[in-house]
Amino acid sequence: MRPLLALLRKDFLNFFRSKAAVSLTFLTPFAMIYLFGQIFGVNRKDSGPSGIPLAVVNASGNPAGDRLIAALRNERSFRVVTEYVLPDKSRRPLTEADLKPLMQKPGADFRFAVVLPADLVSDSSFGLHLKFLSNPRNEIETQTVNGLLQKTIFSHVPELLGQSLQARAKKFLGEARLDQFNRALAGVVSSSFGGDRAEIDRQLAAGDFGIGELMRGRRGTGGAAADGKAESGGDVFSQLVRIETEQVVGAKVRSPQATGLVGGWAIQFLLFALSASATSLFRERDAGLFQRLLASPVTRAQILWSKFLYGVALGVVQLLVLFVAAGSLLGIEVLPYLPLLTLVCLFAAAACTSFGMLLAAISSSPEAASGLATFLIMLMSGIGGAWFPISLLPEFIQQFSRLTLVYWSMEGFSGVLWARHGLLQLLPTLGILAGITAIVMTIAVWRFNRGKIFG
Amino acid sequence: MLQLRSVTKRYGALVALHDVSLDLAPGEFFGLLGPNGAGKSTTMALIAGLREPDSGTLALDGQPLSAASSTARLALGLVPQHIALYPELSAEQNLRIFGELYGLHGRELRARIDDALTAVQLHERRREPIKQYSGGMQRRLNLVAALLHRPKLLLCDEPTVGVDPQSRLAIFEYLERCNREGLTIIYSTHYMEEATRLCSRIGIIDQGRILALGSLEELLQRLPFEEEIRFPATPATDPLADQIRPHGELTTLDHQHRFRPRPDFRLSAFFAAAEALGLPPRLFTSQRPTLEAVFLHLTGRNLRE
Repeated sequence: MRPLLALLRKDFLNFFRSKAAVSLTFLTPFAMIYLFGQIFGVNRKDSGPSGIPLAVVNASGNPAGDRLIAALRNERSFRVVTEYVLPDKSRRPLTEADLKPLMQKPGADFRFAVVLPADLVSDSSFGLHLKFLSNPRNEIETQTVNGLLQKTIFSHVPELLGQSLQARAKKFLGEARLDQFNRALAGVVSSSFGGDRAEIDRQLAAGDFGIGELMRGRRGTGGAAADGKAESGGDVFSQLVRIETEQVVGAKVRSPQATGLVGGWAIQFLLFALSASATSLFRERDAGLFQRLLASPVTRAQILWSKFLYGVALGVVQLLVLFVAAGSLLGIEVLPYLPLLTLVCLFAAAACTSFGMLLAAISSSPEAASGLATFLIMLMSGIGGAWFPISLLPEFIQQFSRLTLVYWSMEGFSGVLWARHGLLQLLPTLGILAGITAIVMTIAVWRFNRGKIFG
Repeated sequence: MLQLRSVTKRYGALVALHDVSLDLAPGEFFGLLGPNGAGKSTTMALIAGLREPDSGTLALDGQPLSAASSTARLALGLVPQHIALYPELSAEQNLRIFGELYGLHGRELRARIDDALTAVQLHERRREPIKQYSGGMQRRLNLVAALLHRPKLLLCDEPTVGVDPQSRLAIFEYLERCNREGLTIIYSTHYMEEATRLCSRIGIIDQGRILALGSLEELLQRLPFEEEIRFPATPATDPLADQIRPHGELTTLDHQHRFRPRPDFRLSAFFAAAEALGLPPRLFTSQRPTLEAVFLHLTGRNLRE
């Protein structure tokens, strides 16, 4: 028993000697629990997705359409975009023609759009017509957007359906006879139930039969039952609402689910692999190899850049093997896009390698580097969107997503495999990855020259 | 060949080397002897260009030595204290890498690798990963890896730590051969017998200062005695000890008296006194002072950090 306790004591002493190990032991769980708590809305007043960019174009000229847009704006899950920012920073209203090019460009500002077309309310058929454009790169996010859109749209359907009914009646009865009918009906309603006859007449002519208000009123009383009924109402209306959906990006992708996810898997795999290989710097230092190398006509910079290039080469090979495996096992189309994919792999591997080098540069031991790597990789994967859509995170955390190499690497992978972007379209993403690499490597080299790795 | 002029190196508040000056002639086998933390490794690191001095200059054949000087480094070979080799690679692969770093390639590199491996008796196992080698084999390879480019000056930082006697002998013989062929060697160690056997000149360094510099004979002359006579510490010999005490330094260790007479004391007087006390000659042994005696005389007996 005594030897066992002595050995146990030794391990704890070693553990408490490492400040990095101690701090990460307590810091990592806090960070992870906080992140997951935010995602699943635990103790969060504003739980659920927030700020999903949604473009909306109202080509109908219908005031009810404007009210629908206002309702979408009030939905905190969405950040409604209705304007197009021109190169000179001036703005104009978005048009339907703008949507597809904007959604197809790399790093698009929005992946979902709703169009209220000119024939939103038709006089040729009873019902409504809407268009929904999407880039369903992330299944969770797409389903979330679909659900929220249905809820918002269907709560405004009755008013629009009333308009449709009036339009159709006008077509068959003519305007004069319809006016006559509406006035007569308003008179009956007014005499039977009270109210201002002229106001009732105006509401009938506008197609407002009060159903929408009734439904919104019921839902406003709150509670699951009210919600449930509203959705039942929505189910009824869904028969009358024709939503024309179009997948703007990734429509022809085979195995879409796996294609959407594989980028996140790949980048996490690479980060773990390369951060582990970066600890080889410590092994070489401890073996005295740096002494021998630096006594030869080799500079510190050459040692570091050789490590960097090795990491990049290894990373590219590992990523390509992973994608080829995903192609053969999950049906993802890889081979036709191999040249561009290799290019993205190269830039992603460079960014990941620089991250590994930075870890080695700022850590005092391989154990500290390993602990820090676990923490940072999990954090970057979480906020970078490798595990779940970043829209599930609070908006202030979303601000940091675009600062992570995980986010931009995933953008690159999905740009090739999902959006089928060409080289020109990929250039901005590759440029950002190159920028991240340059910044991180600059810091790493600076730290290496001041740190103890070559001491 | 190598000149150090008033070299000082500090690590924060610690002065690792203080105003050290040293000249080495071509073909010298120079021993740098000192206790742990004396400044041996710092001296080696400065000469190898791994660190820059805070003040003072270092030059090799008149050319300044610095971390940035790659030409000077071509003339240097460093045998680090650690086995600074890639354990997964074979001896041949390791030597190829280090040879290429010094600009060797092709047939010349292959020939030098063959020569080196033959010289340290590793040719037969040149294709095995060196992690399968014994400690002694790794040490031998560690040595020849620094010589592949045929430097003018070889820096050996305690190159025989943890080595079996056979490998140590092989390393000594190889270094002696290289030295005979003109290689200048600086050999850092705290093994006295290594310095005694190998070095034509020795510098004793402690607390960042060179305390003594010279050949073994010159260093021995710095001792205030020339011989040491040892005899058992018993009641029978105590009267003799009392008689000789005023004529030199008498210490008693492990039931044995050690008498180091002053130069003016005649040994015949000592033996006459012993004979008068009826002590037989077999009780007495006479020894020449060793480098260890010089070392301890200069550096003291206190344990080091």
